[in-house]
Amino acid sequence: MAEYYFQYIVNGIISGGILALPAIAFSLLYGILRFANFAIGTYLTAGAFIAYAANVTLGLPIYAAFLVTMVVSGFLGVGVDQLAFRPMRKRRPLTLAIVSIAVSFILENMARFIWGNEHKSYNIPVLRGMEWGGIRIGKEQILILFIALAFMILIQALLRFTRMGKAMRAVADNAMLASVKGIDSEQVILRTSYIGAALAGTAGMMVGIDTTIDPLMGFKFVLSIFASAILGGIGSATTAVGGAFFVGLAEEVSMIWLPATYKSAIGFGMIVLVLLFRPQGLFGRNR
Amino acid sequence: MKNNGNGVTRRESLKIIGGAAGLMTMGLPINLGAQEPIRLGTLCPLTGAGGPYGPQMQQAIAAVVKELNDAGGIWGHPVQLFNEDSQTNPEAAVRAVHKLIDVNKVIAVMGTWASAVTMAVAPICFNNRVVEFSVSGADAISDLKDDDYIWRTQPNTFLQGEFHAKFALQKGWKRIAYMAVQTPYAKSFGDTYKKVAEAGGAKILEYLIYEADKPSYRSELTKVLATKPEHIMLMGYTPDSIAIFKELYKMGYKGGIQGPSFAINQKLVDGVGAEVAEGAYSLDPASDLQSPAFKNLTRLLGAQDVNSYAAQTYDHINLVTLSLAEGKVNTGTGIRDNLRKVANPPGTEVSGFMEGYKLIKEGKKINYQGASGACDFDDKGDILSRPFSFSQVKGGKLVVIGGIKG
Repeated sequence: MAEYYFQYIVNGIISGGILALPAIAFSLLYGILRFANFAIGTYLTAGAFIAYAANVTLGLPIYAAFLVTMVVSGFLGVGVDQLAFRPMRKRRPLTLAIVSIAVSFILENMARFIWGNEHKSYNIPVLRGMEWGGIRIGKEQILILFIALAFMILIQALLRFTRMGKAMRAVADNAMLASVKGIDSEQVILRTSYIGAALAGTAGMMVGIDTTIDPLMGFKFVLSIFASAILGGIGSATTAVGGAFFVGLAEEVSMIWLPATYKSAIGFGMIVLVLLFRPQGLFGRNR
Repeated sequence: MKNNGNGVTRRESLKIIGGAAGLMTMGLPINLGAQEPIRLGTLCPLTGAGGPYGPQMQQAIAAVVKELNDAGGIWGHPVQLFNEDSQTNPEAAVRAVHKLIDVNKVIAVMGTWASAVTMAVAPICFNNRVVEFSVSGADAISDLKDDDYIWRTQPNTFLQGEFHAKFALQKGWKRIAYMAVQTPYAKSFGDTYKKVAEAGGAKILEYLIYEADKPSYRSELTKVLATKPEHIMLMGYTPDSIAIFKELYKMGYKGGIQGPSFAINQKLVDGVGAEVAEGAYSLDPASDLQSPAFKNLTRLLGAQDVNSYAAQTYDHINLVTLSLAEGKVNTGTGIRDNLRKVANPPGTEVSGFMEGYKLIKEGKKINYQGASGACDFDDKGDILSRPFSFSQVKGGKLVVIGGIKG
């Protein structure tokens, strides 16, 4: 049975890798804009469909579709911000969260209207997985983990070493002080919206490669993304990664003992426990 | 443009109302002396999840009605059909069934598809003494305290579980894992499957019920594959089945998969690709393709490609009209009281209204044999048997490879 325990851990790491990018995106957006953006799941869906349009409709190779997805998803995020969130900028966080739910309905149904309800796949073969000593892992999943890791490092570098990253951190830390220091917060919002949506869109494409593409695919992740961000200490992109792997592992490893029908309860349960006992998050510092 | 407020003057609105009243009297058929029509309703899923099937279900009913009206109706009464769309949505269906019963005064409602819709409209029907015919599968429908007004032509899950298990035994599989998406029938189906399969010498190694709409099923499948099954009975829906098929392929599973046709269908094959789906078995409560009734239905519709739900609604309308003819009645209660007389043996086997009506007029006892099966009903209004067909994915297409005659 021991080999299967390792298999659950491997499964959890893969799930964590997929969750990590949207969790970073959610935390970045939360840090700057200060509301729970429910549209994050739909950004995943949008990314998957943008890649589908590039790969299947336009016939581009999958790596070209990957670049297209990153670029176009980002612009979609900026567009949504300008159209839906900007006019509401000064409203309460709850109002903005509700607007983001509306945004996700609209985007989801646009996808349904254009591409229909059927489940779709990219124009790439499904590969048989690999097996080492009883541990199975798909080749796509290795690629996904690799891409997710690369993005995590990139985002860390961006936040730490670039002027833009410093500005983003400054606004997240104290928007008022940042604006006094001459940081243009609208600029920072634009850039964060772009990066957030591009990350989520990329994750959506990876999910599409791993499983299947349909208008509701992103929505299935929303709870786990929220759980990851809260566990990581909401608003911090760095620790969101830790939260994502924690949630991914917990959801998969719990299957050893719990009936599979309780999978959704894991995410909820963790949100409740963390908010009760450690509201700054497992990895967060007290503010 | 000047306007005094509401856009239409009093004089204009009087004209409109008068004109409309005039049109209404001209348009209405004035059946002075003619026979009172028999009012029947359809509530097929023209939109929503049942949308691929609903339109043909309604056409099958309309075609039978047209033929019998052209031949002079039932004992001189023409049949008047009222069609509503259930939208595969219980809430919309409740509104529609109220309209059918309260406004159109129908005595029977035919063609409800989703179990949730059937369950929602059933109390409204039996409280109004209206007969309801469905193609839904949930067991809860059998247990309704419906005073025998609710009938269905879809096999219940016990019947389905038994057929699925018999198929696995026929194939000689011994080490089987059962996986089902969390639904009201996951357990009743699985328990029957397990009982029948284990009685036949097979072993159910894992019995796993999973949640719908999860992004991946890696760990669920890890659990299932740990028992090293040679065959998986997958009672899912299409979306989760797609994810599971892909995952199983990646995990190197090489055994068989069997599932219901509402999950393992062409959409699934297109979704996962021909290679991943290759060899999977799809089992379907089939129509009785060789029956005279099915041939009559394809003739009426002018199409060979008739879905199994349309075959069932063809049976609904024939059973309703034959019961009315048998009892010389025009009420829902009359349909209820005469249905088993025309549907169950003994009697001369008939395949449609025209054939049966002739015999009824001669005073003979008939036994309707439908397009979906024998249409013999037990005391709960469930069918006693049903043919099943087996298909297998071969080269990206579902090919019929055999069946069990019900």
